[in-house]
Amino acid sequence: MPDEFTPQPDPVQPERPFSLAGRKALVVGVARPLGRAIAVALAQAGADVAVAGLTREPSEIVQVNSVANEVWSLSREQIALELDAADPSSVQAAVQRVDEAWGRIDVLVNAPDLFYAWPLTEMADAEWQSVIDANLTSVALSCREVGRVMLREGFGRVINVASVLGARGVSNTGVYAAAHGGAVSLTRALSQEWARSGVTVNAVQVGFYEGQAGPAEDGESLEQLVKVLPSRELTKPEDVAALCVMVAADGGFISGDVIAVDGGDTARV
Amino acid sequence: MPILDRFRLDGRVALITGAGRGLGRAMALAFAEAGADIAGAARTESQLAETAALVEARGRRTVSLPTDVADSAAVQLMVDRTLEEFGRIDILINNAGGGTAGAGKTLPEILDAEWREGIDVNLSSQVYCSRAVIPALLEQGSGAIINIASGFGLRGGRDNYMYATAKAGVVNLTRSLSVTYGPSGIRTNCIAPGVFPHTAEAEAGWRGGRFIPVGRVGRAWEIGPLAVFLGSDAAAGISGETIVHDGAGTAMIGPTGWAPRVPLAD
Repeated sequence: MPDEFTPQPDPVQPERPFSLAGRKALVVGVARPLGRAIAVALAQAGADVAVAGLTREPSEIVQVNSVANEVWSLSREQIALELDAADPSSVQAAVQRVDEAWGRIDVLVNAPDLFYAWPLTEMADAEWQSVIDANLTSVALSCREVGRVMLREGFGRVINVASVLGARGVSNTGVYAAAHGGAVSLTRALSQEWARSGVTVNAVQVGFYEGQAGPAEDGESLEQLVKVLPSRELTKPEDVAALCVMVAADGGFISGDVIAVDGGDTARV
Repeated sequence: MPILDRFRLDGRVALITGAGRGLGRAMALAFAEAGADIAGAARTESQLAETAALVEARGRRTVSLPTDVADSAAVQLMVDRTLEEFGRIDILINNAGGGTAGAGKTLPEILDAEWREGIDVNLSSQVYCSRAVIPALLEQGSGAIINIASGFGLRGGRDNYMYATAKAGVVNLTRSLSVTYGPSGIRTNCIAPGVFPHTAEAEAGWRGGRFIPVGRVGRAWEIGPLAVFLGSDAAAGISGETIVHDGAGTAMIGPTGWAPRVPLAD
C-alpha cells in the first residue's frame, strides 16, 4: 500500500436515490429465475441490460431471448448473449461484445444456480466439476473479464448472487455450498483489490426461493420446508432483485458486504 | 409493481431516534423524500427543530419528541405521543447512541457508572424502544424495525469495550426480534455503519479515510437509501440481517486489507 494518500472523491448525491438511468448492466444467469428477475428489475430502475445465459438447450435460448425482450419492452437497450460461463474464451467474447457496444459496463450481476445435493461419498468426479464450473468458475471468469473494463473506466458495481448454503451447513449440499461459499470469499478479496478504483464488490446470499431447482420442486419436502421458515414463505426472486437495485445504485460505500435475502432463516440457531 | 415504486414509503410513519443530527437526520430526510411522515426523537430540542424544519420543507408531517432513550418511561411516552399524532407506526429506527462513556479508558480505569451509562444509551435504549413499539406493530400486522449498530459490533477495537459490546448486542437483538416477530409480519434488520464523521476534526482524526479500503469516509446522506430500502416493501424478503455500510472495512483483515503478489510455486 503506497504511503501517499489523497482521499477518494465523495460521490454526488443523486436526485432519485434508486434510479439506474443511464447505467449499463450485464446480468449472467438469466435463464434461471433469479437472474431473470434481476435483469428485469435493473431495467425497470432505468439501466440498459445485457443478458447472458447458458444456451445448450433450445428452451434456454428461448429464456434468454425472452428476458432480452422484456428489457426491450421497458424501453431500455438490451443485448442477448449466449454463453458458456465456465469457458474463458466464451466469457471473454461476450464481455467484449458488450464493451464494444456500450463502451463500459457499470453493473455486473452474476447469478449462477446449478443445484446439486448428494452425499459426498457417492459423488462422481464429473459432478464436482460441473457444480464448481457453473457456480464458482463462472463467477471468477466474469469478474475477471468485466473487472478489466470497470478498472479501466474507474467505476463499477459487482454483485455476486450466491446461496445461504454457502454460509451454513446442510447435509448433502457440500459441493454446492463450497462453490457458493467460494464466490463469497472471492467477493471479499475483490472488494479490497478494487477498493481504490471506484469498483464495489458485494455478495447476496439467497435462501430457498420460488422456482429453485431441487428442494422447491418436490411438493412434500417444500411443504415441510416452508413450515419451518421464519417468514413462512420462500424467498421471492423479485426481493433478491430489489436488493440488487439498491446495491447497484449505492454511492460506493457498501462494499465487501454479504447480504442474505432469506426471510430471517440464517438469523436463528 | 415496478421496482422503483417498491422503494416508496408514502403514507408510512417512521419513528427515528437520534434524529437531531448526523445519520439520524440524514435518514429522517431520506424517509421524508420517500413519502413518510416522521416522528423525530433526540435529547437536544434545538437540533430536533432543525430536522423538523427540513422534513417539513420536503412536504411531510413531523412531530419532534425530546426524549432520553435510556429512560424507559420517557421511551413509552415517546411512542404514545407518536401514536396520538399519527395513529400508527410503520418503521422504528433505533439510531440514538454514542461511544463517549468511558471511551479511550483502559478496562481497569472504567467506572461502573460509565459502563452502565454506555450500555443504557447504546443497547438498552434499543430494547426499550422496540418493546414499546412492538404492540402497535403487532396490532397492525406489519412493521419494520431498523437497528443501527457499528462496524465495532462485528469486530473488536483496542480499548473499545462498552461500545463494541453494546453494538454486538444490537446485532444479536436484531436476530432474536426477527426470529420472534417475523411470523407476525414484523421485519427487523440492522445497519452497521463504518466511519461517518460529524465534524472536520473527527474526519481529520480518521485521516480522511486513509485506513478505509475505499479510501474515504462515509457521508451521512449515503446511509439514507439503505435505510429507506430496509423500511420499504422492497426489503420484504430480508429480516434478521445486518447490512454493513463501511467502505469495505469489515471485509478485510486489518489494517489495510493489502497483501503482496506471490506467484504459484513450481
